[in-house]
Amino acid sequence: MTNAIITPLTQALAEGKLSRGDLKSLMQRSNRPALLRLVVWVGVLGLTSTLIAISFNSLWIWPAMFVQGIVLVHHFSLQHECVHYSVFRTRWLNNVVGYICGFIIMLPHKHFRYEHCDHHTYTQLPGDDPELIPTPETIGQYLFYLTAIPYWRTKFTELFRHVAGRLSAQEKRFVPRVEQGAIFREARIMAGLYALILAAMVTFSWWGPLWYWFIPLLLGEPVMRFVRMTEHVGRPLVAQMHENTRTNLVSLPWKFLCWNMNYHAEHHYVSSVPFHALPRLHDMLKTHIHVQSGGYFGAHRDILRQVLTHRGPGLDGGARDER
Amino acid sequence: MGVRAMSGKGAWHDLIALDEIEEGWVTRVDLGARRLAVYHTPSGFHVSLALCTHGGADLCDGYFDGHVIECPLHQGAFDVRDGRPISAPATRALKVFPCREEDGRLQIML
Repeated sequence: MTNAIITPLTQALAEGKLSRGDLKSLMQRSNRPALLRLVVWVGVLGLTSTLIAISFNSLWIWPAMFVQGIVLVHHFSLQHECVHYSVFRTRWLNNVVGYICGFIIMLPHKHFRYEHCDHHTYTQLPGDDPELIPTPETIGQYLFYLTAIPYWRTKFTELFRHVAGRLSAQEKRFVPRVEQGAIFREARIMAGLYALILAAMVTFSWWGPLWYWFIPLLLGEPVMRFVRMTEHVGRPLVAQMHENTRTNLVSLPWKFLCWNMNYHAEHHYVSSVPFHALPRLHDMLKTHIHVQSGGYFGAHRDILRQVLTHRGPGLDGGARDER
Repeated sequence: MGVRAMSGKGAWHDLIALDEIEEGWVTRVDLGARRLAVYHTPSGFHVSLALCTHGGADLCDGYFDGHVIECPLHQGAFDVRDGRPISAPATRALKVFPCREEDGRLQIML
């Protein structure tokens, strides 16, 4: 018999955590929940933009831009769902929305899709998981990561590398040869559009994008780094999904912003399940996975405890990330 | 699961009773060394190899909608009528087999 590879899903089915009937029910797609959420999403963006508009010429503009930035950086969560084609039943809508989100946060969609595939295949395996965030060894490293400076450095380097028609050795592993040209085209189109916007800003003294988009994005990205760290950082560097990933129990506004991706272990178990069904999947898997109470701060208390006690995230408490 | 009749290069093989195929969904069937996926679609039945050409995951655990089967691991997708990949990261076609209904059973040409 030609055997399929073992995945978290096949394990969950084999262990009776899920049945095929559950799976079929959970995976059902619909456009309606996402379209309704998008209406609210645009409303929230309208509200935060209004806050910026009414606080011009005062110091209040900075907190207003920060709040706008928190919403803007969460386009990552929506884009991530679109990578999995689970936001909308209409398949092409996932691509359209994913590319728009990627443009807002400078994350080329096709490249992210291929990178994210390897993240799901090799979750938390150093050297193989391209999205692995190293567990900080010092408070200094922890704080520096949260500034988002290393993140932006990586993203700008990637974009320029792809514009120049090059891939790193790691990227060559996850981008199929037939898709390399598309990755370069995507980066060039994206960079070209940014250049056009910058040129228009200078030519027409049009500074709206600076106050409503660029500065808020920079101010908000540390929040996204804070959120992203809670998914895997400090969890064991092992292949077992019930060990290497956290599910974070967070409040409704955060669930809304992250499109239920706080149910991260559930998502890794069955990545075909759309955001609106993840709470149901959580009820089925919650005794099987690592559930972190205390919200995002609970996860960071766990991370900081490891940093301060110099205990790494290995199963034996001693192994450290290599990168 | 015997060989029913010769036709051209291949032969028709019994695969599964029609009433064992899940309506509007994908059903896993093993035939000898092959793991196959049987799809009940709006245009009838279709059969392909069950493993994704990208990462080797079992498509029978994936999401199925209309004529599209989606891999449960990375969400690459294929049109089950001809096996062509329709979404990244799938880039290689899925092998599909001709099939027919005969005496209440589904047969495929191998």
